[in-house]
Amino acid sequence: MLADDCHDCHVLVIGSGGAGIRAAIEASKYGDTILVSKTLTGKGGCTTMAEGGYNAVLRADDACSLHAEDTLSGGAYLNDPALVEVLVREAPERVADLMEWGAVFDLTDEDEIAQRPFGGQRFPRTCYAGDRTGHEIIMTLVEHLRSTDVEVLTEVAVIDLLRSDGVVTGAAGLDRRGELVTIRADSTILATGGGTRIYDISTNSASGTGDGFACAYRAGAELIDMEMVQFHPTGAVYPHDARGRLVTEAVRGEGGVLLNFPGERFMSRYDPERMELSTRDVVARAIATEVLEGRGTIHGGVYLDVTHLAPGEVEARLPIMLEQFLHFGVDIREEPMEVAPTAHHMMGGLRITPSCQTTLPGLFACGEVAGGVHGANRLGGNALADTQVFGKRAGEGAGKAKRSSAGVDDRQIDALHARLDAFPEGTADPAQLRRRLRRAMWTGAGIFRTAEDLTGALAEIREISAQHPRAAYQSNLIECCTLENMCLTASLVVRAALMRRESRGAHVRQDVETTWAPGASPYGHTYLSLEREGVETGGAGE
Amino acid sequence: MKDLTLRVFRFDPLADGEPSYETYTVRVNEGARLLHALHAIHDEIDPSLHYRYCCGSGQCGSCAVRVDGEPVLACMDEVRDGTTIEPLNLPVVRDLVTDMEPGLMEIPGLLPSGEGQVTRSEIEAIKPLRDCIECLSCVSECPAITVGHFAGPAAMRQAMRLALDPRDAADRVPEAVREGLFTCTTCQRCWEVCPKEIRIPGKAIEKLREMANRSGLTLPRHLGVAKQVERTGRSIEHTKVTFLEEAPAVIEPHGEVKATVGFFVGCMYNGRLPDTAWDMVQVMQRNGIRLVIPPEQVCCGSPLIRTGQTSSLRMLQKRNIDAFVHRGVDLVMTMCAGCGSTLKNDYETPFRVVDVTEVLTMYGIEPPGKLPLKVTYHDPCHLRRGQGISEEPRELIRMVAEEFVEMPPICCGAGGGVRSGLPEVAGALGKGRDEEIRKTGADAVISVCPFCEFHISENTGVPVKNITTLLLEGYQEKDERSGGE
Repeated sequence: MLADDCHDCHVLVIGSGGAGIRAAIEASKYGDTILVSKTLTGKGGCTTMAEGGYNAVLRADDACSLHAEDTLSGGAYLNDPALVEVLVREAPERVADLMEWGAVFDLTDEDEIAQRPFGGQRFPRTCYAGDRTGHEIIMTLVEHLRSTDVEVLTEVAVIDLLRSDGVVTGAAGLDRRGELVTIRADSTILATGGGTRIYDISTNSASGTGDGFACAYRAGAELIDMEMVQFHPTGAVYPHDARGRLVTEAVRGEGGVLLNFPGERFMSRYDPERMELSTRDVVARAIATEVLEGRGTIHGGVYLDVTHLAPGEVEARLPIMLEQFLHFGVDIREEPMEVAPTAHHMMGGLRITPSCQTTLPGLFACGEVAGGVHGANRLGGNALADTQVFGKRAGEGAGKAKRSSAGVDDRQIDALHARLDAFPEGTADPAQLRRRLRRAMWTGAGIFRTAEDLTGALAEIREISAQHPRAAYQSNLIECCTLENMCLTASLVVRAALMRRESRGAHVRQDVETTWAPGASPYGHTYLSLEREGVETGGAGE
Repeated sequence: MKDLTLRVFRFDPLADGEPSYETYTVRVNEGARLLHALHAIHDEIDPSLHYRYCCGSGQCGSCAVRVDGEPVLACMDEVRDGTTIEPLNLPVVRDLVTDMEPGLMEIPGLLPSGEGQVTRSEIEAIKPLRDCIECLSCVSECPAITVGHFAGPAAMRQAMRLALDPRDAADRVPEAVREGLFTCTTCQRCWEVCPKEIRIPGKAIEKLREMANRSGLTLPRHLGVAKQVERTGRSIEHTKVTFLEEAPAVIEPHGEVKATVGFFVGCMYNGRLPDTAWDMVQVMQRNGIRLVIPPEQVCCGSPLIRTGQTSSLRMLQKRNIDAFVHRGVDLVMTMCAGCGSTLKNDYETPFRVVDVTEVLTMYGIEPPGKLPLKVTYHDPCHLRRGQGISEEPRELIRMVAEEFVEMPPICCGAGGGVRSGLPEVAGALGKGRDEEIRKTGADAVISVCPFCEFHISENTGVPVKNITTLLLEGYQEKDERSGGE
């Protein structure tokens, strides 16, 4: 049985965040390109929510080698050095593209792109548009996309990659009504972003459910370092339903200080040199420790304070923060914010080459769904740069790939239909299962981890995965597929976390003593695929 | 935790003939946003409910819906018990989900010129127009879009943003004119509903019209208005003996003086509707307000600003400010909403400017007699949104009319130069008002703006009255009754 709605193209791009749109713009130079997005174009993903900035070496007294060193050291030397090299070298070129296309970044009095200091970097190299940098990038990209002949399929959620003889030949998805859509392509780019919505508390948009990791794993791709989940130090804690909402690092970049409930500037005990501008893993652990040891606020956070800044400065540099907190009844010009760590970014993902080729022929990956760029901890400002640098490379790589005569394998479509047909007969409430999964991940695979907790989480994930979620209506099929993807992604995180028997970057194993400095670790990437799993030994990046 | 009840719009255009409303009671946490209540409905009660959302932090513009008729971002707006949740006024895909694509495609992109370095001052000029999250709340509410050829507020905002950018190779001004730049009535509803508070009429529409003026693209009918102002100091030709020709420089009240206010007459009350201005004078005399009326005052310049013909604006501003400064008044009253909005927002006056309804409620009035009338009130855009005044007129109307019924505050079409420039668009909006007026079953429509009053009169059979005329009738009724006793 075939899908009702079939499309064909040279390059298929899945995902309409910063990486996906950048990839589509580039790919369209080489042939028919389709961009498929489970949200309205540009409105999904996390790029539009990214606030702080974009790292690029732009000044004579900065250097790409410094940016690379900062990125590697911030990443606890788990990064793939070749990918880091590409990132730092091409980030300035890609920000220049954005400027040419009309991006409205803040400029200095000399009409150069303004830069602010961000955590873990020795030079203020974070370019910004107030605290709506990601939104600015997305608007620029969406406007540019509209001028290309990329065909956009909006609100189609990809549920699986299509394969034919071991080659990826496109994807299948569900439209808003739950009808199957297939797209055959010579090359497919996965730009689906991250997946920290698998945690109870997360900064991610609703689309951050890890679908790309899950689809790629099911298709046979290899993923690396899936245990490396960045907990952003500063997420909102109140009101309850909006907890986890990102409070940008720019707040600290602009001089915001962290205080515990007794009023102590506690970062002096964790990183006296860099204080609030230490790397995210360090600051997140410091806040979590303060709260665990009873020095937190009633809402379970710490204070983040900018009241010492001039009100005008807050209004100009942090307008979105000001607006969002005002909505929740807090005037940050006059009172401190309350913050606590929140699941933010997946450093791990598909193993890629510098051309964004994955381990599966026909499949490329870029942006958060790809692994290896950020190692064990990502620097603030490197994600937006990542989307543009590797988005362009993926578009180029996929665009230049040769035409393929491989079609859609009917047996796979039949299997998909069979999978979907089971959901209306399901018995479990997907919303409840989702909640259970998120809590299990937060308690079992959070900032501080032990083998025991991780094993418990894995058992819970397996139990949830064994349930049969029910689609009450055809339009609820997507929720069931998403739940399955979340479970699979969660299990990849936990399995990788169990494999990595060391504390490194964002991954802290309290039950294992780590006696080496990150750079001297005997371990490289953890890896997971249908065929093999393990941890590389003999040093990072090998 | 708290329980609350919401009434939610339900519609599947492929299956249902008509939209319907369903009522749900859900339990939410303290501080929950509307989105969290929709999640609760979907997850706990009715998985068939369709609604769109994504970032959850007011940045992606996916989740705009209307709560009791007012657009909000569901993820940012605190949910309120007993409210009605409806989709934006866009084609409905399903329930609260609308088809946003056509609206989004109206928004033009930058055409890279490949050259042209942008400067900091240019960036700073663009920024206030750049916060748009394309939620289309403005498009949902724009009255002009429903009756004329108009790409809409979001597209005009973008056109201005591009016009300010040296990196853009296209000529945005003629394009904006083709896309309906002169169709906007500057009713400011778009600004009122914008979650990012982007002042589209003032910062985009009127600025684009200024640029159009410099390119010779002003509508011919608007050119005539500017010539008229230049020649006579007035935006319209008078059809009667003007108010200023007859009015003394000071009009004393009948009793004790409670306050002295300067009266800024405005072109319409001066030359077209002087009788209404005289009604106002009687109301003021009865309530202890001394009016100071400098005869050398001229047009406030509003018709020029709204149509982008601002070259002689400074001269008008100076003449008007000087006229009142020389009389030593520190309070100047307008009774035309357009003049009031202009004096408040486009002037820097050394005196305070207040609307006639503010004066009357500020100093208090003698209660008029009750008129046996059912009336409704038309909110002038330049009063409600231009000056933030909506309660004062209602308070006054309730004092005099036996029955008061509300109608939705939508532009009548008279503003923004549309009545003079594109009369068919203004007429269509006026007809829309007539429909709403008829729905109320009112005996009379009350307003506080000569443009609205004049324009609505032309489009409805129901009598239209200025609020001061209504008050005066109330006093006459009272006097008759006491005289008869």
